[in-house]
Amino acid sequence: MQTEIRNRPAFANIRVLLESGDSLIAESDAMASMSSTVAMKAQLAGGFFNAVIRRLFGQESMFVNEFSTYGTGEVVLTQPFPGDMECIELNGNTILLQPGAFVACESGVKLSAGWAGFASFFGKEGLFRLKASGTGKLWFGAYGGIFTRDVSEELTIDTGHLVAYEPTLKLKMGMAGGFFSFIFGGEGFVSKVRGQGRVYLQSRSMDGLAAWTNSHLY
Amino acid sequence: MQTEILCRPAASVARIQMQEGESITCEVGAMIAMSTAINVETAARKRGSSGGGVLKGIKRMFAGESFFLNHFTATADQQSLIIGPSLLGDIVSHPLTGGSLIVQGSSWLASGADIEIDATWQGLGNALFSGEAMFWIKCTGTGDVLLSSFGAIYEVVVDGTYTVDTGHIVAFEDTLGFTVGKSAGTWLNSFLGGEGLVCKFEGHGKLYCQSHNPPNFGKLLGPMLKAR
Repeated sequence: MQTEIRNRPAFANIRVLLESGDSLIAESDAMASMSSTVAMKAQLAGGFFNAVIRRLFGQESMFVNEFSTYGTGEVVLTQPFPGDMECIELNGNTILLQPGAFVACESGVKLSAGWAGFASFFGKEGLFRLKASGTGKLWFGAYGGIFTRDVSEELTIDTGHLVAYEPTLKLKMGMAGGFFSFIFGGEGFVSKVRGQGRVYLQSRSMDGLAAWTNSHLY
Repeated sequence: MQTEILCRPAASVARIQMQEGESITCEVGAMIAMSTAINVETAARKRGSSGGGVLKGIKRMFAGESFFLNHFTATADQQSLIIGPSLLGDIVSHPLTGGSLIVQGSSWLASGADIEIDATWQGLGNALFSGEAMFWIKCTGTGDVLLSSFGAIYEVVVDGTYTVDTGHIVAFEDTLGFTVGKSAGTWLNSFLGGEGLVCKFEGHGKLYCQSHNPPNFGKLLGPMLKAR
C-alpha cells in the first residue's frame, strides 16, 4: 500500500494505492473518489458499544468503511473542512483524537471510545474522544494548519483548537487569566493539558468561523 | 490570450492577458480587477450569437449559474483581467479542441469567446440523485475553459470505470458518461458507511474532481449558525 497526503496544508487529502491483500479503514463519508476495482464495506467503529458511544456523544457515524481490492486500485480520502492532515505510525502506543479528527487508519489500529471527563465536556470538547491504539499508520485532520507542542508541565489551549494528544497528558479546565479576562477577554474557558507528552493543535477552529459568520448574519 | 493561475491551490485567481480584439466570457461577479482598456458587456447569450439568449439564460439558472454572462473584450494590446470564484479553492484551465466538456454548474468560471455554453440535461436519475444541480453546463468549441472548485482539483484519466462521491465532480469530457448507483456492494453497506449514492463514470476521457465537498462543509457549519 502506498499513501500520500496531497495539497497540504490548505486542502489535504490522502491518495491511497491499494494492492491485493491491503485493507484500509476510513471515516464514514471520507471517500471522494475511487477505482471501480476497490470494494467498500461498512463496519461498526470499534465494536457495537464503541460505535453507539461515538454516535450518541461524538455526533459521529456508528460506522466506518473498510476499503480493499483484489487487483490494484486507488482511493482518495478527504475531510469535510479545509485544512491539513497528519500521519503518525502507532507502535503499541495510544493516541487520543478529538471528535471529527479521525480520517483513516491501517487495519492493525484499534479504535475505541474513551471517556474524556466532565472537564472536556464543559470545554466543549465532548464527553468522549476516540482512542486509537495498536500498530499501523493513522491519519487525522484539522480545520486549518496542524502544529505540535511537546508539553513538559502544562500548556493552556483555547477550546476548539485541540486535535489530538497522548494519553500521558491529562485534560483540565481553567480560565485563561483572572475573572476580568474570563468575562471580557474573549477566551472564556480554556483547556489545560498537564503531564509529559505531545499535543496536536489546529490553527483555526470551527467555533471561531461560526462566531465570525454569526456576527455577519442579519 | 495567455492565462496564468496564481495563488494555488488555496485561494486561486486567474490572470488573463489579452491583446486588442480578444475576448473572454466569465461568470457574473468573477471579475476582481482589470486594466482600463477592457470593455464589459453583460448579456444572456454568447458574444456575437443571435437569438436564444433568454432560454439559455433560464437553463443556466437551473444549472446553478447566473442568468447573465459577462463578456470582457480588450480594446487595446497588453490588457490584463483578474478573475476568481467566491469559495476558497483551486482553478484549472482545460483546453478544448473541438470536443465538449460537461461542467458541474458552480464550477464554471470562464471560457474563451469561441466556446458555446449551454445547459445540458444528464437524465432524470442523475438529475435527482447525483447531488448536483438538475442541469450541467456544456462547453463546446475551441479554446480554454476555466474551472473552479472548493478544495484542490485533481485530474483522473478514466479508461473503463471510476467512482466519484456526489459533490466531488468538477467537470468531465463528454466521452465519459455516468450513472448514479450504490457506493458499496450492497445498498445496506452503502448507507451504513455514510457514502450513500455515488456517480459511476464509464468510458475513456478526462475527469476533474475536487478534494473537498461544499455540502459537507455546509452541513458542519450550518448547525453552528444562529437562526435568522
